Amino acid sequence: MKKKLFIIGAFVAISPVLFSFCGFYVSKADGTLKNKTSQVILVRDGNKNVITMYNDFKGDTKDFAMVVPVPVVLQKSDIKVVDQSIFQKLNDYSAPRLVEYWDQNPCYNYEMMNDKVMSAPSSVMQRSGNSRDEAAKRSSVKIEAQYIVGEYDILILSAKESTGLKTWLNDNGYKIPADAEEVLDPYIKSNLKFFVVKVNEKEKKKLNSNFLRPIQITFNSPKFMLPIRLGMANADGDQDLLVYAFTKRGRIECTNYRNVEIASNKKIPLFVQKNFGAFYGNLFTNQWNREDESVAFLEYAWNVTPINQMKCDPCVGNPPTEQDLVQSGVWWVGNKDWNDYSDLDNEEADNGSKNVHFTRLHFRYNRKSFPQDLMFQVTPNTLNYQARYIITHPATGDFNCAAGKKYLQDLKARRKKELQELTVLTGTNINNWQEDATAKEDEETNAAAQYATLLPQVKEDMENKESAPVGIILFGAAMVAGAGLMRWKGVI
Amino acid sequence: MLLLNLFKDARYFQIIFQSIFLSYGIFVLHWRNESWLYLTYFATSLAMQFVCEYLLGKKHIPFFQRLKNGIPSVLISSFGLSLLLKTNNWRVAVLAAAVSILSKYIIRINGKHIFNPSALGIVAAVFLTGNAWISPGQWGSGAVILFGVLCFGFIVTTRVQKVDVSIAFLGTFAGLLFLRQIIYLGWPMDHFVQAVSTGSLLLFSFFMITDPKTIPNHTFVRILWCIAIAAVAFYLTAFKFMNGAPVIVLVLAQPLVPLLDKLFKARKFEWIKPKGFTPEEKNFLHVVYSRSSM
Repeated sequence: MKKKLFIIGAFVAISPVLFSFCGFYVSKADGTLKNKTSQVILVRDGNKNVITMYNDFKGDTKDFAMVVPVPVVLQKSDIKVVDQSIFQKLNDYSAPRLVEYWDQNPCYNYEMMNDKVMSAPSSVMQRSGNSRDEAAKRSSVKIEAQYIVGEYDILILSAKESTGLKTWLNDNGYKIPADAEEVLDPYIKSNLKFFVVKVNEKEKKKLNSNFLRPIQITFNSPKFMLPIRLGMANADGDQDLLVYAFTKRGRIECTNYRNVEIASNKKIPLFVQKNFGAFYGNLFTNQWNREDESVAFLEYAWNVTPINQMKCDPCVGNPPTEQDLVQSGVWWVGNKDWNDYSDLDNEEADNGSKNVHFTRLHFRYNRKSFPQDLMFQVTPNTLNYQARYIITHPATGDFNCAAGKKYLQDLKARRKKELQELTVLTGTNINNWQEDATAKEDEETNAAAQYATLLPQVKEDMENKESAPVGIILFGAAMVAGAGLMRWKGVI
Repeated sequence: MLLLNLFKDARYFQIIFQSIFLSYGIFVLHWRNESWLYLTYFATSLAMQFVCEYLLGKKHIPFFQRLKNGIPSVLISSFGLSLLLKTNNWRVAVLAAAVSILSKYIIRINGKHIFNPSALGIVAAVFLTGNAWISPGQWGSGAVILFGVLCFGFIVTTRVQKVDVSIAFLGTFAGLLFLRQIIYLGWPMDHFVQAVSTGSLLLFSFFMITDPKTIPNHTFVRILWCIAIAAVAFYLTAFKFMNGAPVIVLVLAQPLVPLLDKLFKARKFEWIKPKGFTPEEKNFLHVVYSRSSM
């Protein structure tokens, strides 16, 4: 079947995006600050780390406060604020995507040229979402440094024991969640410092924006990890975390939780297009449950080295430019004059020292499934990966030729399979899709091949299949009984 | 005969258990895409065994007899590679398998090979090529796996009577981890459980460090040796954040074994205990003995 390929990029809802990071939020007012979806950019090479924390805090900025454990005392030059648009760019670029194909009528004789059309990705974007010192002396807390960076007041604290730290934070108007203490102690004993952030209202007023910009910190440490345990202290239920990582060598992977590639390259019914965000949301939840929750899902991995031409296939959003990379904290690119071609034949570009590999990991964590902070390693795995789902438009016209009749048969079979795939992937009951499937705007005019007609058939097939486990049990029982009988009779 | 062998030679048990783990990985943990990698390990190892036996084997035993006797060990080391080493490059896979088998024939002292074949293959691939890696998180930490690995591994090691090795290693490693994480740092219990129920750690302690040919013969020395490996591996894991530390430490510690054997005399390990023998078994033992005195 000849197919024309066309592409629709679609962004995915990652549950309602509310601000957060792996730190815990300490609200100064009695309001309930919750964090549900965090986004973090990690850059790592050797022992150098750059971490950028997204900040989507909504509410009175006076109430904003954040505490992040860090391995070293940061210098002022190690702390920056960056433009928040970088997160949107990375998210758009690496989000799971819906790809669109068109069948062609086998009764018309198209030229072969369409065989290998890998048309340039068009981008119809669908987005569905998108007095201190004294107190310190009294307690065992030491202020290692304090800076004003951008619109933030930043303190770096070290502490001898958690009660002191807790008292200090409370005395200074940070409300600490009751169960944060269980993690404060281990952090203090692991010699971590606490990076405490508040909004400096004066500086904030100078900026004409209501956004709190992401904070980027740079430090050297052999630890390649994200402290998520603090963040669990004031979050009820499951929290989503998107990690965008850049390295020289290849993908990153989690070393203390299982890494799973999210199901990809699946053919799904046409009507999912209307509701792709919800589809992916269901798919993710289903896979997360099936994999026992304690997993890191790989959603995207690609070589985004500036000299690499193909940075996505298809592209949903613009691939990160060199400037975006620099903004994300990738320190080994940049400083290149693009009008200077003298080094075009230079070997240097090929020795891997300018390579940038991008990984997008998606976690959904809660206290029970994630007892440890996330530990990572950089691997030499440079394979590209994307979460990609395929819809196919049926051909139009008469199907009176022999090939046409066969096409209709194939189409019916394929659409049935798509419906089954849909229920398997999302773990939803097929009845939930009834409304979508029976919607009038099915492109297929032949009633026999419409989703609405096929749905009851698929339902029936699936009901029959449900008896399969019973069959296996019966078969197993028969085998055991047979073996027992033979043993009894002395045959074996 | 196969059944008889199965009970006499613990290696068959090991193969069965390792194949269960690999099937679990392939069918439950979706490692299906990596089937080519496992095939490469097995094919290369078997081919290498064939070549090595042909060129370097004991000439007074019939070739096919030798080949047959060596195959279980080859399968075990191929499984060892499949269960722990990841790479996207078939050349690296070939190198790892070739190094592991070749080392058994070339690097020998007093009739024992020095390095655990798969451990050496892994270290060679990771450090020489930079294109392979150990994936400590690949097994997840399901409690089911914990018990499964423990039980299966226990049986295997009991049969080759080297359960002391596993217990010494795992006990020391987990003990130190417990001291640090729970007693000193004060993490809650599940933090610790998550750390020790890693499949890779358990596989290492029951299937890799236990290789009876590459550990000291003397019981007491053997246990001390394991404790030392565990302590160093713990240090590297907890303070230097090194992944796959046990495998690396094991490879570094193995050259000490001949020295320890020389200092502390003890009976050498045999895969099959001498008792009454069938002619085939005698033949097999002959191989084992002559191997040992090579």
